[in-house]
Amino acid sequence: MAEVDTSNGTTANDTDSFTVKDGLAKMLKGGVIMDVTTPEEARIAEEAGACAVMALERIPSDIRAMGGVARMSNPSMIKAIQDAVTIPVMAKARIGHVIECRILEELGVDYVDESEVLTPADDKYHVAKSDFTIPFVCGCRNLGEALRRIKEGAAMIRTKGEAGTGDVVEAVKHMRTVNDEIAAAKAALASGGELAVAAMAREIGADAGLLIETAKLGRLPVVNFAAGGVATPADAALMMHLGCDGVFVGSGIFKDATPEHAARRARAVVKATAQYTDMKVLVEASVEFGEAMKGISNAGMKPEERMAGRGW
Amino acid sequence: MGKITVGVLALQGGVVEHISLLQKAAPYISSPDTSKSDFDFDFIQVRTKNELAACDALIIPGGESTTMSIVAQRLGLLDPLRDFVKVQGKPVWGTCAGLVMLAEEASATKKGGQELVGGLDVRVLRNRYGTQIQSFVADLRLPFLGETDTTPFRGVFIRAPVVEEIISPSAEAVTPGDGKKEPVEVMGVYRKPSEGGEDDDIVAVRQRNVFGTSFHPELTSDIRIHVWWLKQVLDAVGEQKTGQGAGVQVDLPV
Repeated sequence: MAEVDTSNGTTANDTDSFTVKDGLAKMLKGGVIMDVTTPEEARIAEEAGACAVMALERIPSDIRAMGGVARMSNPSMIKAIQDAVTIPVMAKARIGHVIECRILEELGVDYVDESEVLTPADDKYHVAKSDFTIPFVCGCRNLGEALRRIKEGAAMIRTKGEAGTGDVVEAVKHMRTVNDEIAAAKAALASGGELAVAAMAREIGADAGLLIETAKLGRLPVVNFAAGGVATPADAALMMHLGCDGVFVGSGIFKDATPEHAARRARAVVKATAQYTDMKVLVEASVEFGEAMKGISNAGMKPEERMAGRGW
Repeated sequence: MGKITVGVLALQGGVVEHISLLQKAAPYISSPDTSKSDFDFDFIQVRTKNELAACDALIIPGGESTTMSIVAQRLGLLDPLRDFVKVQGKPVWGTCAGLVMLAEEASATKKGGQELVGGLDVRVLRNRYGTQIQSFVADLRLPFLGETDTTPFRGVFIRAPVVEEIISPSAEAVTPGDGKKEPVEVMGVYRKPSEGGEDDDIVAVRQRNVFGTSFHPELTSDIRIHVWWLKQVLDAVGEQKTGQGAGVQVDLPV
């Protein structure tokens, strides 16, 4: 194990480094991470009980509407949000953009999302995430993609879904795909042992060791959140029901809402995620939530309009 | 004594990690007196008042203390939790965010402060070491694990709080049992490598039935603190149910 100096003067090895990265993700479980674009929105999220915020200049639905190149947010707005709240602050970097990630690390954000919501900076490689002190979350559509990101050092995974649409269908599809493939890996382990899992690993483009670990655990070896199109308390509870550890809500809180309405929406999603099996609570939360963002149905989308296809 | 139900508050955070270590710790606890050894542990997740009422002891896990406090308040769980800790005086352990919840005061909270359960006459400082970049793992020496056990405990500190100050109990503080207020015991400190002993951070405390740690034993595979705490639980339940201690023996896996 390589000994590395950490900023507080202690020494740590690679295992310790991953323990604290993965550990923070574990502490976010059962919670809601909300996209916010201003310190005021960040405060609304914190008061509603968000377990973290994602600081970005525009929510995904606006990125979608504006077009053009979407990049890392200006550090000054991220700093203003860090100053406004005491809960963890995450920020997005473009896929493969090592320098944006280094800038976010220097800023002291708590988690970097190497995100397909921004325009990719590298058409071949993602960032080598193990090299960083800061932890990373990455999106996936299937198990192979999830395990490639974990192999690169991601300490947290989320579904890609289809960000900015308010349509949960893609997030459901990605979570189901991951669940089905984990079940297949378990079955392969039971019938053909580790060699059979290694054969499956080649098929799905995953590291054999990680797939064997996944098969033995019966789940991803890191925390797995839902993201991309989660727009209502019922959507959040649906993703928890499918086995997600927690939920990212992007455009669903602040799109088409006054601050008062956004605060109600935020409280309702937090409540629904924490108590997703209690239908009484889900009724209350759905009433409190009020009208949802209008959204865009995924069914009519052209392939080039989809963000989930970004990433390799 | 029958069944002993130990709950883990499951509003948000690292719940299953605690349940998993509790399950691994339970077999190491036995009673030498066979007449009292007919007990077994039941570990449950607690999300409602009824589930809390079924518990003989409770862990408040790590997570985001603001989230836990807001969710607990909205579900009407704050007062039942305060009753559990301060009036019934049942054994409670908080890790990280759980320690914040169990403190009487907290600093560096969100604007406007946050609701706490209380129970420990301490003021905790949230996010003592800064953001996630400053999270770390360090060896701790914890005398309560036994003078003979010199293996350091790997303390996992994630955006961790510390006990900033032990405060005098407020006059109207509720005191369970005989009404005698017991002092806060410092159970563990973290000595920063670069600084002298003056600045040791208090990272584990106990006051009567309430125990708190800044770090996360549940993120390691080291069951020693869970074994130690379950023994405290068994003793306390023994006193409540039979009027005397259970005389628990612990066989630590060393």
